[in-house]
Amino acid sequence: MTANRLAAKGLTLAYEDRTVVDGLDLEIPHGKVTVIVGPNACGKSTLLRALGRLLKPRSGAVLLDGTELSRIPSRQIARAIGLLPQTPVPPEGITVADLVSRGRQPHQKWWQQWSDADEKVIVEAMERTATAELAERLVDELSGGQRQRVWIAMALAQETDVLLLDEPTTYLDIAHQVEVLDLVRQLNLERGRTVVAVLHDLNQAARYADHLIAMKAGRIVAQGAPGDVVTADLVREVFGLASVVVPDPVTGDPLVVPGAPWQRPGQPSGDTAATGAVGETADAPTE
Amino acid sequence: MSAGRTVLPAGYSRLRAGGGTFLLHRRSICVATALSVLLAAAVVAYLCVGESFVAPAEVVRVLLGRPSPDEFVVGTLRMPRLVTGLLVGAAFGAAGALIQTMARNPLASPDVIGVSHGAGAATVAAMTFGITSYTALPYVSVAGGLAAALLVYVFAWRKGLDASRFVLIGIGISVALGSLTQLFLTKGDYLVAQQAKVWLTGTLNGRGYDQAAPLATALLLLTPALLWAARAQRGMSFDDDTATALGIRVGRIRLGLATLGVVLASVATGAAGPVDFVALLAPQIARRLTRTAHTPLLCSALMGALIVVVADLLARKLLSPIELPVGVLTAAVGAPYLMWLIRTRSRTGGTA
Amino acid sequence: MSGLARRRVGWMAAGALLLLLAVVLSLALGSRPIAPRAVLDALLHGGTSDDAQVIRALRVPRTIVGVMVGVALGVAGTVMQGITRNPIAEPGILGISQGASVGVVCGIAFFSVHTLSGYVWFAFAGAGIAAACVYAIASGGRGGASPVKLALAGAAMNAFLASVVTAIVTTDAETLDEFRFWQVGSLAGRGSDIVGQVWPLLAVGLVIVAAMARGLDALALGEDVAKGLGRSVPLLRVTGWLGATVLTGVAVAAAGPIAFTGLAVPHIARALVGNDHRWVLPMAALLGPAMVLGADVLGRVVFAPSEVPVAVMTALSGVPFLIALVRRKKAVTA
Repeated sequence: MTANRLAAKGLTLAYEDRTVVDGLDLEIPHGKVTVIVGPNACGKSTLLRALGRLLKPRSGAVLLDGTELSRIPSRQIARAIGLLPQTPVPPEGITVADLVSRGRQPHQKWWQQWSDADEKVIVEAMERTATAELAERLVDELSGGQRQRVWIAMALAQETDVLLLDEPTTYLDIAHQVEVLDLVRQLNLERGRTVVAVLHDLNQAARYADHLIAMKAGRIVAQGAPGDVVTADLVREVFGLASVVVPDPVTGDPLVVPGAPWQRPGQPSGDTAATGAVGETADAPTE
Repeated sequence: MSAGRTVLPAGYSRLRAGGGTFLLHRRSICVATALSVLLAAAVVAYLCVGESFVAPAEVVRVLLGRPSPDEFVVGTLRMPRLVTGLLVGAAFGAAGALIQTMARNPLASPDVIGVSHGAGAATVAAMTFGITSYTALPYVSVAGGLAAALLVYVFAWRKGLDASRFVLIGIGISVALGSLTQLFLTKGDYLVAQQAKVWLTGTLNGRGYDQAAPLATALLLLTPALLWAARAQRGMSFDDDTATALGIRVGRIRLGLATLGVVLASVATGAAGPVDFVALLAPQIARRLTRTAHTPLLCSALMGALIVVVADLLARKLLSPIELPVGVLTAAVGAPYLMWLIRTRSRTGGTA
Repeated sequence: MSGLARRRVGWMAAGALLLLLAVVLSLALGSRPIAPRAVLDALLHGGTSDDAQVIRALRVPRTIVGVMVGVALGVAGTVMQGITRNPIAEPGILGISQGASVGVVCGIAFFSVHTLSGYVWFAFAGAGIAAACVYAIASGGRGGASPVKLALAGAAMNAFLASVVTAIVTTDAETLDEFRFWQVGSLAGRGSDIVGQVWPLLAVGLVIVAAMARGLDALALGEDVAKGLGRSVPLLRVTGWLGATVLTGVAVAAAGPIAFTGLAVPHIARALVGNDHRWVLPMAALLGPAMVLGADVLGRVVFAPSEVPVAVMTALSGVPFLIALVRRKKAVTA
């Protein structure tokens, strides 16, 4: 097993005077898909931004191969870690091929603006993301799903071992969500790329992650294989939601079904307790 | 992978030279060539027209350094002013492109970040206190422009240079300095007001190699920095996060572009007064012509030079023998064209 | 949420108090200071003393003009920043004030208009024509009058009109001599006739803006969201632009071009009450006149007996506020 490349040590993150993450230690497993989940404002995107050096830690550090990120030249980091922000803004009036080729920026020199290697990588990135036929279109004119694929293509063209994705499925319909996540899995499988993604959907997270990190209020509540981590107890602790966890009928991964049925006011509340009990029993098979 | 298929972004060509490969934007090259040709034509026309008309053939002879009977009129009387105009226009065009890229705001210009008003306030103050010699004033205005921009930096710097903060504080300081200028104008002597008004509009009248020399030196010294900027600008068209993820040092580039823009604009203002609409208009026109995803630096400079030369030609000739300040006509030449481009082109330039 | 609401109400009350204070000072202070009690007396019981005459004939109209101009500029600036989604948009940058200047210059140079109340209609017509041209230019091409196109068309128009103004005044020294005093922007010498001329227009402008105020919140979320909320984006832009034009016209016609108030007041208002336009607009309507009157009073006092024009004073006294606020705000707004 190869050593983990990306880690955080005593990481404290803050915006102005609000501390979001306090003294967090973390290892990102090498060659795996890691997914961070948690309720809104739990600090998961903030953590991802710090891992991609978009946010300077208040104290502690993010380590790449044991070296603090702040000690590594930005360009060198960009050759090791690719990052797709939540809402990237494309240059106005740029074509798809041009945008994807910008991913080569960290590898290029001013006298080496378009090498054969560049071309090979860009063609491949576009074919993998099925954006090759969009090459000459303007990014402004694309649909949300197409645009997201183009951004991923750009991140692929960057050819980094580690890829950080901040909610890559927002704005996408369910088919495109699956498409994007399948692509992520495939990249990990074929290239052994380490992927860290923040996802909103707990079920997608459980299905696509090798390693799941559940966060609440800036702390890591649980981490490990989704099958071990996702339980009704955890969902209640992290999201404050009663639920039933059953095996996913397709993959067998844990599937969270919000567990307290909506009730007419005034009805006897005995049902809630019953659902809770069902929850306890139902996740037994997954363990 | 389909062999032999090229994915070069639309509109680009690849050039191999020695060990390097370069990407060239074909349309930009065409636009740059066309602008150069137009500029050359404008230069010849500029040298032909004046109190007496000189045949274009004679002008070309003088330009090529051959003996000609019109050498005095063309080479000694008209040439110095033309050279100043060319350099001023190019410097303002480039400064505008840099500042708009840095601020990510198409409304940004040296006017917005304090340079013009700093220079204006310093110059008018100097005039009010009796300094009127054309050898001293340019230095006063360069100093004023740089000082104002420095003030904006100091106030806007807070763990880095945030673009919108920089622009807002720039406007604030510009407005304050502009008000000071107004105060000098209304409280001051009528003659000083008239003279200051002309300076504040920007004029090439009486400008020559004395003013052109510092500007030329500055442009020459800054050439390596400008080459760097032309390439660095590409990365600034992303948002900060995406750019950082690509390994672009956003903060450093922003600081570099701003400094470069401020220096160019200050020196140009020193030479001809605040002809600053050029800096606002030229980059926007150039970008609409080249249709690139970033503001083209070279084309902006060429466009700026073209606008100033044509405007000064009109300024000398339109109401002759009365000479208008060139600043009156730069906007009159550039603005309608930009408005026409906005109206007809579907593409918009620059994000707000 | 209730904390936010309380803070908003608190700031609104503070704004109202500030305005009240500015009004009292504007009535009481000047080259001839008059005690507040005497001011109240003159207002309530009339009287024929010199003080009462000064207050009723000079200071009351001047103060009313100041309030009108401040309200108009504050609200117009807020609307313009809203529809162009550009934090540096303001009447002065988008060519409307410059249009008014062209109107006044033409009035002086070609129609021999030489009174302040005579300027009003020329200024108003100039502003209206310029604004209509800017909108027509920006709405051409694909995508209609998008924020960027509107801002750029305005800036280009501003540049063009500025050169028209300069062309006229540099060739005509007499016009320059008269125009430079109008151009500097001042409340001095503004009497009740000007109030009578512009108040209906101010009312019209405020009604238009009030009618589309909620739309500004929708526009702030982006065009698509605004559409999703059932708003007609082009209609919002046209009404917003119209309202802002009328208000700018009012302000420039009454007092000449006063830069900065339209830019700074919306920023200060947003910093105090947040981004909800139902709060920002009233706050701007309180702060605008407070700023204009405050600056006017300062201008009357600092170099008494001579006066510093209000536009100069607004900028000099308002800039420190703007800088402090902009610096305080988090750096993540870009």
